[in-house]
Amino acid sequence: MNNELMFFMLSAVILVFSVLTVTTRKILRAAVYLLFVLVATAGLYFQLNYNFLAAVQLTVYAGGIVVLIIFSILLTSHISERAPIASAARAALAALVTVAGAILTLITVMQFTFRPAGIPPISPNVKNVGRALVSYGTDGYALPFEAISILLLAAMIGAIVVARKESNNQSTK
Amino acid sequence: MTFHNILIMRHELLLTIVMLLVLIIDLFATGNNRKLIIPIALILFLTVTAIGFLPAQYGQLFGGMYITSGTTILMKNVLNIAVFIILLQSVAWLKLEENKQKLAEYFVLILSTLIGMNFMISSGDFLMLYIGLETATIPLAALAAYTHHQTKSAEAGIKLILSSALSSGIMLYGISMVYGTTGSVSFAEVALQWGNAPLQMLAFLFFFAGMAFKISLVPFHLWTADVYEGAPVNVTSYLSVVSKGSAAFVLMLVLFRVFPSIVEHWQKVLYAIAVLTMTVGNLFALRQQNLKRFLAFSSIAQAGFILLGIIGASPLGMSTVIFFVLAYVFTNLAAFGVISAVSSATGKENMADYNGLYQTNPKLSLLLMLALFSLAGIPPVAGFFGKFFLFASAASKGFYWLVFIAVVNATVSLYYYLLPVKAMFINKNEQPVPTFRSDFYMKAGLLLAAAGTLAVGMLSIGYEYIASFSYGLQ
Amino acid sequence: MMTQGIPLYYFLIISTLMFFIGIFGFLTRRNLITMLMSIELVLNSVNINFVAFNSYLFPHRMQGQFFSLIVIAVAAAEAAVAIAIIINIYRNFRSIETDKVNEMKY
Repeated sequence: MNNELMFFMLSAVILVFSVLTVTTRKILRAAVYLLFVLVATAGLYFQLNYNFLAAVQLTVYAGGIVVLIIFSILLTSHISERAPIASAARAALAALVTVAGAILTLITVMQFTFRPAGIPPISPNVKNVGRALVSYGTDGYALPFEAISILLLAAMIGAIVVARKESNNQSTK
Repeated sequence: MTFHNILIMRHELLLTIVMLLVLIIDLFATGNNRKLIIPIALILFLTVTAIGFLPAQYGQLFGGMYITSGTTILMKNVLNIAVFIILLQSVAWLKLEENKQKLAEYFVLILSTLIGMNFMISSGDFLMLYIGLETATIPLAALAAYTHHQTKSAEAGIKLILSSALSSGIMLYGISMVYGTTGSVSFAEVALQWGNAPLQMLAFLFFFAGMAFKISLVPFHLWTADVYEGAPVNVTSYLSVVSKGSAAFVLMLVLFRVFPSIVEHWQKVLYAIAVLTMTVGNLFALRQQNLKRFLAFSSIAQAGFILLGIIGASPLGMSTVIFFVLAYVFTNLAAFGVISAVSSATGKENMADYNGLYQTNPKLSLLLMLALFSLAGIPPVAGFFGKFFLFASAASKGFYWLVFIAVVNATVSLYYYLLPVKAMFINKNEQPVPTFRSDFYMKAGLLLAAAGTLAVGMLSIGYEYIASFSYGLQ
Repeated sequence: MMTQGIPLYYFLIISTLMFFIGIFGFLTRRNLITMLMSIELVLNSVNINFVAFNSYLFPHRMQGQFFSLIVIAVAAAEAAVAIAIIINIYRNFRSIETDKVNEMKY
């Protein structure tokens, strides 16, 4: 019973703050609302016993990405600045498209009967996750782990190339 | 797993080594030595390209996450050739004062995206497909935003990364439903379980929409023209040739491997998208003044033609697609090479600037004419055979109306491909682009592209070779 | 399992709604950073899907969990590059609103 109560609270937080994130006119508030959504999602993961994933969600998503976003907001806008809103026609059209899409998708999802595999579970604890991360047979994830390191390296270099100021000043604006 | 097995992954491993080497050399290079990075990186990459053609082992690694076959190696080799030509053509631009500070980074970013594309082609499950796709796009956005002082360039970068992030979000939603309905993300296991429940259809559509963004099929093409115009020329040619070609390969592989059970459904989707893409691409190409935008819309139309090879769902179609992309690589790189040469020498990119180019730069004009003829599909250059084989493969599966529409579109495209030719050879201009000399690298790049265009066309070489691999796939 | 009482469908409803809220935000927002936030919502909703499926239906393998982990890592890389470009745009335009950033015409 407790569990259910917790779930409904978390999902209420997720839905309400998701809507606020995309509708509020104050950019900094939008970022904070996004933070609430991400933390509540981590709560869902904890509830499902995915502790490692929840920790990653908190540190990388909530701790890393949101902080990055807040920094960039502080760098590029004034606190008092209000985000411009889309024209009413555009907003109405977007609302129509997304509501129709959501209803269609929900109906299709609800119709489908998901079948559990019914095979004894393995616990998603840190020990098993760590073992899978370095094994290379079936159900090993060494390759994605290595491949993503290339992506992170390239993204880091790319971000530096784009954001750094050029040392010779005559070509900058 | 032994050393022997590792050799199956040689494309990716070698590229990673080259990437890291360039990065390390850059650490120790100072002052004028930095320029040496260019020849070193080119030689290293040429070696990798050559090694790619050596006979290889086929097989699977990492529990089926990584698959190599004759077809995938062939695709990777086509991409390697294209990247080598692009690197040659970018040297003149890299030597400009504004880019001197970030020479090595250009190579590193290009190589990392190429590694991503290779992983994507070799992927055996959706997880590797997703990682490859992102590795192939995120650094590209940084490349598109490469020129600091041009606002257009940064705009291209942000448009590319936001639209690609949204499209991969949509694709991921599809993949999550694939996972939920089949219990696996591995291609082989999904293919066994895949049915035609409504949710599975929806999942397929989400996945397809995400892929269509990357290949810029209509109606998911809105980002293409702006990004192509704003990015530096060499990055544009990379986007339109290598990035698009690899995404088309992957779409084809996934459709054939994972979704053969719903082939009649995805054929309908492809049919509609192919007609739309060819027509819209052509209609918009008609009214473009900027040559990069012009080639952007032309490349959208060409992507529509590629779908004709995929729609047959046959090994024949697969080999025609690879052949078409090979022809398209050489042709487009010849066109982009000329634009890049003119742009890095004078900074001009509009069609009106090309008026009277033949008077001052006859060789470049002839080359651009050759490329445009090939894009338009005039025999005997490469593009003609590329299209011809595609049409033949679609017709052999009974898609006569689609082929008819494609032929009509190809005829319309003849008109606009001749517009730049008219500008160069007939239109008068008081102040044409002055005569300039290109450096050795640019000449080599242009020569390779031109030779490829002619050779693929005249001899139709490689078609048998490609076909011999593709028949083994299914 | 701790999840008795809560049907799988509840998770799917939440994630689907969140997904479309994110899409709505992407379509209506006129500021680059808020567009980026909408994309984070989309990616987060996908993660919920993967985890819920893994936990309820296929707990004998960890595919869903690893997919979520990878998505989080990729989202971080994506956000880093996007924000670098946004800061660069701000230096050039002194604004990060899409109406002003639209120099090129469709």
